[in-house]
Amino acid sequence: MVPKRPSARTLREWGTAYAFLFPNIIGLFVFVFMPIVYALYVSLYDWNALSPKVFVGLDNYKDLLGDKGWWRSVGKTITFSVIYVPLLFVSSLLSAVLIHALRGRVSGLARTMFLMPFAITSVNSAIIAMYLLDPRRGLINWILSGFGVPSQDFLGSTSQAMFCVVVVLLWINVGYNMIIFLSAIKEIPKDYYEAAHMDGAKRGQTFFRITFPLIKETNTFILIVTTIGSFQVFDQIMVMTKGGPAGATEVSVLYIFKHAFELLNMGYSSAMAFVLFLIIFVLSLFQLKLFSRDEER
Amino acid sequence: MLAIRRAAFPTLAVVLGLALVFPIYVLVIGSLRSEERIFDVTLFPVEAVFANFSQAVKGTGLIRSIANSFLVSATVTVVAMIFHSMSGYALARFRFPGRNLVFAWMLSTLMVPFAVIMIPLYLITKQFHMINSFAGLIVPSIFNAYGIFLFRQFYRDFPRELEEAAYLDGLSLGGTYFKIALPLSVPIIAPLTIGFFLANWNSYLWPLIITQDAKLWVIQVFLASLVGGGYFTPWNVVLAAAVVSTIPTFVLFFGAQRFLVDGIKMSGIK
Repeated sequence: MVPKRPSARTLREWGTAYAFLFPNIIGLFVFVFMPIVYALYVSLYDWNALSPKVFVGLDNYKDLLGDKGWWRSVGKTITFSVIYVPLLFVSSLLSAVLIHALRGRVSGLARTMFLMPFAITSVNSAIIAMYLLDPRRGLINWILSGFGVPSQDFLGSTSQAMFCVVVVLLWINVGYNMIIFLSAIKEIPKDYYEAAHMDGAKRGQTFFRITFPLIKETNTFILIVTTIGSFQVFDQIMVMTKGGPAGATEVSVLYIFKHAFELLNMGYSSAMAFVLFLIIFVLSLFQLKLFSRDEER
Repeated sequence: MLAIRRAAFPTLAVVLGLALVFPIYVLVIGSLRSEERIFDVTLFPVEAVFANFSQAVKGTGLIRSIANSFLVSATVTVVAMIFHSMSGYALARFRFPGRNLVFAWMLSTLMVPFAVIMIPLYLITKQFHMINSFAGLIVPSIFNAYGIFLFRQFYRDFPRELEEAAYLDGLSLGGTYFKIALPLSVPIIAPLTIGFFLANWNSYLWPLIITQDAKLWVIQVFLASLVGGGYFTPWNVVLAAAVVSTIPTFVLFFGAQRFLVDGIKMSGIK
């Protein structure tokens, strides 16, 4: 075989590389990169998607500052996030620790049971919840009545609806996050635990001194990903309450959705979407910074 | 005393596990209850009513939307696997100007949450006349830097020797990928296939935006429409439809749990 001239091979390598990357470069450009730029552009216009656009500068952003509905939706989103993220974090971490402590067949069985709700789609999780939480005849109220608790409205109650949404999302997501925690915990060398045991450390101590600090990267990852996800909560709320009752569950994505696709306010809703993007962006940077500072110490 | 302490953790785990599985049990049992007895609190239905299922599939909506979901999820998954593995391979193996820049740019698209771009994405899709079409359901869902990233990681740890040998035997660079690397990529393709399929099967917001025509509804949009309108929900039929729609995900769950778990673990890689 005649050795090929390196330059020819090099050129062919460049060509093949870009040929292999081409579909994704185009696709990501058109369907991810362009939209974010386009959102900024459209947010400077008054546009109902049917008649011609009218340039209004920053007016949409000014309107947004005084829009009580928008700020309420931001508040609802933060409320959801503040309840949901810590609960999900703690419950999936504790589940992982629990399942890690099991030996033999029961460990696999428990893992399967914890993960099973993950196979339920978000719309189905909402349907099951609506059935269980039916205020008049649902199973949950039947169980509560056994404890002498009067019938609750749940999804029809302004004070309870958001918490119901949290519980549904916890239910289908705890297994997924538990698996991620579990695989991180399994990476910790067993010697650490044995040494701690020899020194007479209790379970609680080994958790706080060994397990928790050694899976720090996973903690950060789960926290950031869950927070970003929580700011985009939509599916279950859309199916169960459509933002109600009386706006009690009207989170930002739902508010934007209504303005864009029901009121056809493309410019204004794009401005809101862009502000939501900035909020999520700043929040994830802030969390990342918080944790990397921790590592330096 | 020791025996009690030993049994405490397994018992706790099983009790919690049963609590998590219980709503799924309620769903399945509920789908077998008659309309009048739908809110019964017995562990088993007084009489199993399989007619709920025939009623659920009677209108064409359920079967058609399941077929639509299959078509969309399968197409997105297959095309994504090909595109993403090619890109991941190029980024891991080839040396070319702009490699780091392209990779960093692709990763940066992960920072863009879907909910934020749904409006411009709708407007762009409309410009391409892909509203109310399978193309609109499929094409925008394919591109995802996350898949590219995981393929790149995989090929970086992939032994080079086989490809070198194939190249010296006269196979082109592209041929080496298709004939050598791709067939050996099952360990990454299997979990990603399941992950992509499930994610698209679960997809609700984008199909809701992009399809007005009920003939194009995917399963999640169809199911949501069953509980959306009016005061009265025919729970027996709704639950039966929900059970039918869950069969594919449960087949994957029980048939390929190992790959499913592998996929989840991969998503946790920093």
